[in-house]
Amino acid sequence: MSSHAPGHANKPRDIKRFLVGIFTEEEQILSVTKAATDAGLPVHDTFTPYAVHGLDAAQRLPRSKLTFVCFAGAALGFMTALSLQAYTQAIESPILSGWPLNVGGKPFLPLTAFIPVTFELTVLFSGLISAAGLLAFCGLFPGRKPRLHIDGVTNDRFAIAFDPSAKLYDEVRARDLLHSHGAAEVYFVGENA
Amino acid sequence: MSSATSSLREPLVTGNPSLAQISDDICAPMERKPSLLWWAAFLVALSALVIGFSAIGWELYEGTGTWGLNKTIGWGFDITNFVFWVGIGHAGTLISAILFLFRQKWRTSINRSAEAMTLFAVMCAALFPLIHMGRPWFGAIWVAPYPNLRGPLWTNFRSPLVWDVFAISTYFTISAVFWYIGLIPDLATVRDRARTRIRKLIYGILALGWSGSNKHWVHYETVYMLLAGLSTPLVLSVHTIVSMDFATSVIPGWHTTIFPPYFVAGAIFSGFAMVLTLLIITRVVLRVEHLITIHHLENMCKVIVATGMMVGLAYATEFLIAWYSGSNYEGYTFFSNRATGPMSWSYWIMVSCNVISPQVFWFKKMRTTPWIIFVMSLVVNVGMWFERFVIIVTSLHRDYLPSSWAMYDPTWVEYLTLLGTFGLFFTLFLLFTRVLPVIAIGEVKAVSRFAKPHAHGAHGSAIGAGPGLDPHAALSSSPVQALHSSSPVEAGSHV
Repeated sequence: MSSHAPGHANKPRDIKRFLVGIFTEEEQILSVTKAATDAGLPVHDTFTPYAVHGLDAAQRLPRSKLTFVCFAGAALGFMTALSLQAYTQAIESPILSGWPLNVGGKPFLPLTAFIPVTFELTVLFSGLISAAGLLAFCGLFPGRKPRLHIDGVTNDRFAIAFDPSAKLYDEVRARDLLHSHGAAEVYFVGENA
Repeated sequence: MSSATSSLREPLVTGNPSLAQISDDICAPMERKPSLLWWAAFLVALSALVIGFSAIGWELYEGTGTWGLNKTIGWGFDITNFVFWVGIGHAGTLISAILFLFRQKWRTSINRSAEAMTLFAVMCAALFPLIHMGRPWFGAIWVAPYPNLRGPLWTNFRSPLVWDVFAISTYFTISAVFWYIGLIPDLATVRDRARTRIRKLIYGILALGWSGSNKHWVHYETVYMLLAGLSTPLVLSVHTIVSMDFATSVIPGWHTTIFPPYFVAGAIFSGFAMVLTLLIITRVVLRVEHLITIHHLENMCKVIVATGMMVGLAYATEFLIAWYSGSNYEGYTFFSNRATGPMSWSYWIMVSCNVISPQVFWFKKMRTTPWIIFVMSLVVNVGMWFERFVIIVTSLHRDYLPSSWAMYDPTWVEYLTLLGTFGLFFTLFLLFTRVLPVIAIGEVKAVSRFAKPHAHGAHGSAIGAGPGLDPHAALSSSPVQALHSSSPVEAGSHV
């Protein structure tokens, strides 16, 4: 059942290697992940062509903290927008003074008139900061190679990876588990630097 | 039950393609040489683009005097085109964000191209505020609030025109980010199947090192949901603010509190029409009829008939309020000018295209016949362009003083500029179909009948449906039945 992916067999020792099981069905990756976590085998990660519902629970992944990043971005945008408008429309200061302009006698600090721009900048800041946060949290950037490149997981394969250096890792049990859940292939994959 | 594959509903993807087949089908148009038809369409679009931009070049060289505007009619084709294109852009975000929040899974086949269309439409729209200033190299800078040597004299944040600058630029930026985030997993798919080194390199850079890791998917899904949540009020705010360009003025015909919802409904109406125009061609030319099915087209037709009636209601409300308010100016503008005056022909084109003709979509036969939908989508596009023309030009051309009354004669420069924006739009869309996956591969996989979203979360015990499960049994019945037919105990069986 097991095979060695060509090109990964003779890697130098300092490259970290992971035991990978390949599956062809969504149900298999869900059940094998759940079984591994339940059995106390530390799952390094799973790899899927699309977001599989329930897999994060099976893997016992915590909720993403990006919601807080998004909220911080929104708060920053909100305050930037309000202070920018208040400063430029109404405040006369000794340094870089605004120039309060009388437009048809309209009030200088009309908060209702500031709502649209405040809203837009809130959305702009929170959206951009959340997106940047996603890239930062996942370590994604242009030109990066996938840390663990497993053939087929962006197409029609589902993979589970075990880290041999993890504390409770047991290769025999891991291989047994993979085979008993119908792994199409089991092999080692080396990490990209 | 929130299952996308309920036995009561038609499947979102027909023909039960395998996951690999979905990748193949969606990537095929990018990987084969463009057809003659594509080249023909591209050359036509590119010619329109070149002609249109030559007209813009002439306008910038000679000045806005090359347009048919006059003292009375200060806004004509320019702002009509601007509002028209911004409206077209709304369907993309509606499909990608609002339908996402409402768990409308049929969006997955059409969201990518609709979002691309949004970006291209907003590019076309943004052109007009720039060029209508005559000296865009100043205008582009002066709308931004920055410390300056003019006093410093800042932009006037109490003006809706400044709000509009922020609305449109935020809308474009967030739409682009949302689109790109959605593209990342698909770019990785394209990268991993690339045969040539140059393709591998380019898509490798664009995919940002996506590996399909579930640890990343958790963050990804969160951000996708957040962006959808942010885009939903954003898309409503954009056309609301565009409408305030008019509604906060004192011109009869513009000074209308119904404008924000009226404009938003109209924007979604015209946007869906444009999505239909493009997708009916795209699905045939790219051979993805099993992914963008008649069912998708039918759903969009239903949105069209609903939003068409909303704009119809808004047209009627304007007349009601003009009568009920007892204002002479309002009454004159609507009854004596808009509906029966010298430009009433444009008003009646608008009503027949936007309110009367979409009623054919009450009939299922009409909603499911692609050529009829295509013709109707063009009719709605024409109608919605005229809606903006009617609002802008007919409200302006009869000024308060009869001595300032005027007529509007658009010049060839204006016609060619309008043509040029269609050229820009279609050129970009055709290039998009060549270089990026026009359908969200990952999302379609998740809703295809092989994948059964929600079934797992809802039925924890059913997770064990493993290799013992006959895939054909799963395909031919609903997930609930399929999962019940396989015992969780079987899951651990050896193959």
